[in-house]
Amino acid sequence: MRNGKPPLIDSIYWRGAIAIVVFLLLWEMGSLSKVWIKWESFEWLRNTLTAMGFKPAYLPWVGAIPAPTEVLHAWQGVIRDPGYWQSWYMSLFRVMAGFIAAMLIGIPFGLLLAVSRTAHGVGFPVFEVLRPIPPLAWVPASIIFWPTQEMSIAFVTFLGAFYTIVINVVGGARAIDLRYFQAARSMGSSQRDIFWRIILPGTLPSIMVGSAVGMGITWEVVVAAEMISGGGSQIGGTSGGGLGFFIWNSYVGGSYEQIVVGMISIGIAGFLSSELLRWLGHRVTPWLRLR
Amino acid sequence: MTQQDLEAGVPHADVLEIYRRTVPFQAVPEILLGKIAHLGNSAFYAAGEIIYKTGDDANDICIIVSGRVEHELEPQAQARRPLKVLEAGDVFGWAALLSKYPRRLAKAICTEQAEVIRINGEKLLRVLETDPAAGDHVMSQFATMIARDYTVPGLGAMLRKIHRRIHAGDVQGMNLTLYRYQQWLKSPRPYLMVVGFTLFVGFWYLAVEVWKLPRFRDMPGITAVVKEWLNPDPAYGLSIYTPEYYKHIGVSIWRVTQAFFLATVLGVSVGLMLGWSKKFKEYVFPVFETLRPIPILAWVPLAIVMFVATESAVIYLTFLASFFATALNTMLGVESIDESYVRAACCLGAKRAQVFRHVIVPGALPFIFTGLQISVGVSWFSLVAAEMVSGQYGLGYVINTSYTMVRYPTIVIGMITLGFVGYITSAMVRAMGDHLMKWRTRELALGAQ
Repeated sequence: MRNGKPPLIDSIYWRGAIAIVVFLLLWEMGSLSKVWIKWESFEWLRNTLTAMGFKPAYLPWVGAIPAPTEVLHAWQGVIRDPGYWQSWYMSLFRVMAGFIAAMLIGIPFGLLLAVSRTAHGVGFPVFEVLRPIPPLAWVPASIIFWPTQEMSIAFVTFLGAFYTIVINVVGGARAIDLRYFQAARSMGSSQRDIFWRIILPGTLPSIMVGSAVGMGITWEVVVAAEMISGGGSQIGGTSGGGLGFFIWNSYVGGSYEQIVVGMISIGIAGFLSSELLRWLGHRVTPWLRLR
Repeated sequence: MTQQDLEAGVPHADVLEIYRRTVPFQAVPEILLGKIAHLGNSAFYAAGEIIYKTGDDANDICIIVSGRVEHELEPQAQARRPLKVLEAGDVFGWAALLSKYPRRLAKAICTEQAEVIRINGEKLLRVLETDPAAGDHVMSQFATMIARDYTVPGLGAMLRKIHRRIHAGDVQGMNLTLYRYQQWLKSPRPYLMVVGFTLFVGFWYLAVEVWKLPRFRDMPGITAVVKEWLNPDPAYGLSIYTPEYYKHIGVSIWRVTQAFFLATVLGVSVGLMLGWSKKFKEYVFPVFETLRPIPILAWVPLAIVMFVATESAVIYLTFLASFFATALNTMLGVESIDESYVRAACCLGAKRAQVFRHVIVPGALPFIFTGLQISVGVSWFSLVAAEMVSGQYGLGYVINTSYTMVRYPTIVIGMITLGFVGYITSAMVRAMGDHLMKWRTRELALGAQ
């Protein structure tokens, strides 16, 4: 800037890069502290930690997490394991099943609530009473109800996305400018036309937002459902129970590096699917891009 | 209203007929007109008597029942024809309804013996406010009359406004609640709601306990749940009479409270910094965004490893979810503040700290409270998961152990309790937000007119 030339790389990038590198370094140092620090010469630190109720072997919290280098190493080992990819597939499959079901049921249900005052009066209060119950509280009930474990996990993931999608659809339809309806009606539109030409396109942006948020919740739920229900491990063996089960299994097996591998994998999967939906949302609502 | 008033002011049909002959009151609904007629007092004036003169206090408006009155507007009123002779059915003294002229603009003298109904302007406005739609119509009729009959075009716009709804002072409080409740009972919604719940509960009852549909047969039925819940001696050891029930609820609430408090303090401060300082955001936000996509529940095993005590692991998980929601919304809130507010404050000599205290924090408040509401919901969400996987006590623990111990009705008790407690906490956060942002609620209420 000083020479009148634009900087080669914007500050936003190098600052972000620095921050992530520093974060990784701190993590590495913190977690390797148990190796590097000669604990014998820091007797006072050890005593303080014990006095505060922490384990004296390493620094509190961060010391218990495996270091990034170890995680990377574990990842290299796991990446060739078909069981790991099977976990990806299982989780993705469950997320998709629950999510698509939530879209298929949630969008028409939300539109119905938005269009008909009677349906809103009958359905919405019940919906609002059920909504504060967290989806995960449904896990046992859903295991009892559904014949297979696969279906019960899919049902809980469905619930996770369903509430968000319905709320967004109803909210979106209610936010449509009343003048559009008046204009259409004064020009002689039928109820059908109003639905297809005004309500549906008017709600589309909030449907997409609801789906993107719902997708995030779906990943949250699928992980927990897999952990709680044992991940349907009878289907695919110890490594075929989805990423949530992969994490839980790593924990039970004591390989903590794999826990972090699983966490990052889920992070990537969730991030990618949300981004995909956001991109899709941009594609189907081209008129919003003009603004 | 005293007894005397009631007797004197009983609106006979012929009295109402007098009102109906006037321009402003000709189309007023019967009920409202009755109330207006209650305000009127008859007065008799001899020929040559002055009803009022320019500069007097303007309290009443007058309707001529019989006789003639000469009405002369002062030059400042800029009427095209200042002098006007009024007859039965004419209305004068409208200065009482103007917002800027609490004094008479004209001189009114009786040219022959006259009977006049005097109505206090202030009281008239109060009565018109009880029916804002009709009240607005009366006021617009007055405006038309002033412009057309008295040939003073500009003054109509200065008529006082009829307040929609209740006065600004009553926006909060019992009156509004009561009023809303009445309106709600008049609408079909409560009855539809009853229908909805009847359908839901009826289906649950019939499917599980009467028809015994294939998959529903294994589910706990509603009568079993209610019996267990209200049983002083519960079969599975958990009902509203057992102290454990309240212990579980208390433990869950206490965990959420700690996590929520921690997340609010840290999340709001980090969020304010992220929105306020560009440099801070450029350094911190990438790390923030790297960690955020990892589902909170994927942290469960790591949290157990990280924290020696299960209690702190559960609180940490609950905290994490709330923290991201609060911080992100706070940041968006700061970024949503109109740049010109900051500039205006700086122009007036505000220091950086003052801008922060008086512009940034209140400006971000609406978003912060949206974030807090999301954060309460999310914290219950992750608390349940954390309690189900690890932990003793708590509602999530109840649900999970009831499953493993095959105490099916208790699962449903746990779920309903959880939904109820979760709803109460988010309602509390919302109420607190509304209380702290009264200025905004009022703005929204008035803007919605």
